[in-house]
Amino acid sequence: MKINCPLVTKVLARFICEETRKTGFNQVILGLSGGLDSAVCASLAVQALGSRKVVALILPYANLDPEGLAQAEKMANLLKIKVSKIDISPQIDAYFSAFPTDNLVLKGNKMARERMSILYDFSAREKALILGTSNKTELLIGYGTIHGDMACGLNPMGDLYKTQVIELGQYLKIPDEILTKKPTAALWPGQTDEEEIGLTYAELDQILFRLVDLRQSPDEVSQAGYDQKKIRRIIEMIKRSEFKRKMPPIAKISSRTVGHDFLYPYDWDK
Amino acid sequence: MKIALAQISPVLGNIEKNLKLHLDLIKRATTQKADLIIFPELSLTGYSLRDLAAEIALRPKDSAAFSQLLDASGSIDLVFGFAEDREANPGIIYNSAAYLSRKRCLHLHRKVFLPTSGMFEEGRFFASGREIKSFETNFAKTGLLICRDFLHYCSSYCLFAGGASLIIIISAAPGRGVSKTEGQSFETSEMWELMGQAVSFFSSAVTIYCNRVGIEDGAVFAGGSYVYSPYGQLVIRLPYLEEDFTVLELDLNEITQARRSWPFRRDDRPEVIWRSLERIIRQEDED
Repeated sequence: MKINCPLVTKVLARFICEETRKTGFNQVILGLSGGLDSAVCASLAVQALGSRKVVALILPYANLDPEGLAQAEKMANLLKIKVSKIDISPQIDAYFSAFPTDNLVLKGNKMARERMSILYDFSAREKALILGTSNKTELLIGYGTIHGDMACGLNPMGDLYKTQVIELGQYLKIPDEILTKKPTAALWPGQTDEEEIGLTYAELDQILFRLVDLRQSPDEVSQAGYDQKKIRRIIEMIKRSEFKRKMPPIAKISSRTVGHDFLYPYDWDK
Repeated sequence: MKIALAQISPVLGNIEKNLKLHLDLIKRATTQKADLIIFPELSLTGYSLRDLAAEIALRPKDSAAFSQLLDASGSIDLVFGFAEDREANPGIIYNSAAYLSRKRCLHLHRKVFLPTSGMFEEGRFFASGREIKSFETNFAKTGLLICRDFLHYCSSYCLFAGGASLIIIISAAPGRGVSKTEGQSFETSEMWELMGQAVSFFSSAVTIYCNRVGIEDGAVFAGGSYVYSPYGQLVIRLPYLEEDFTVLELDLNEITQARRSWPFRRDDRPEVIWRSLERIIRQEDED
């Protein structure tokens, strides 16, 4: 699962640079959470376009994750990128005072979509293409909010497992405190990804890598020494989250239909 | 013989812009006294065309772009790729390559092996060609293949059996695989080089591979165009992933020398291969 970091950096920097130009933007924007994924993504963007063409938004909910906030600020300073901080608590609180709930997932999804909404607004204001920060692990198991943190104009790290993002982060010299802290979506105090998913990233990525990249059957993965229950659960997560990775289905009625047989490239004439 | 390799990144679906790019580089190659310039697969149109393939396919006889390239071939031979709406078979679209020389089209190759699995979907939009044929040029008997054609080694064998001593492959090969921690390119680049080296050596032929660069819909074309000598020695490899334009001298005398040292060509038995294949095909039908 090791990756050739200099090559991956070169390819992803080129990808950001070329796709930004093709979409007619000359800068990019992304949300900085203080976590590793957005730190690596920002660092790749700076390699691709230079620090003056990268805009970061730090979008805390009041004082929910002070550590993340400090690390996001540190990262922005380190990369010398433009940064704005917007507290999303007024809009979130206003909404939940009208529609109260104790469900933390509902609250988390709402926050993720509020951040998306602000990023898209600033994308238009700043004329900057939105970089997504979802990694391959999250995309495969659906650990992300549809139309929330999964929404973006370009997703440079979507083919890198979390453990590979960590490897790339070390190569890009992301500060140790960001590299070593427990990954968290920070949707409620003390939340960690691994606890919520119920697997460590190391184990999850190994199983995913075998199932997806090596195309091994569940039996083959289990023969390699992985727990059958965990394998089954991961397959279930992949299955149940397919809707997050696709455009919604359209019923085929006419002879030519968007998504079925009206098929044009994304990079058409660019 | 002097050749120019144009490792370009065409604009997807814009023939006008790509034609200009071709004509500019043809001019540059002519200034440097090259005899032949080679562009990558689908160089006039871009690769990931999908439904656009049928919409921008050219008919060589009525295409203004094609006739401008024919004109340009008055001063230099050229090889390029395009989506072809075949005159004899209208509405059927091919992934084609043309060899133009002295304002004539010496050969049209239509891609035979269309990758249609995983990230590839060529068989959905193109018909496959039905012939692999060597042809005469002013320099050497030549064969033309397009990308995946070359990975099926029988294609090169047909060219070898047909007497080709210059094998030209135009390509739009995306890179895949980064798990080798050393190296400047994707793992798939090694696969292309392995075949280039083997085919050059065992055909005693010069192999010229022209791959594109750039990114289309997330596919990262790997570049790394190369030339192998008839002894299987790497003559030049262009940079991976970056646009490049290189003119170099080829020593065609080496072909004769290599064939004296290694009589693969003299000892070839296409009739035995033919009979063996026939039997295999008949057997498969019976199975």
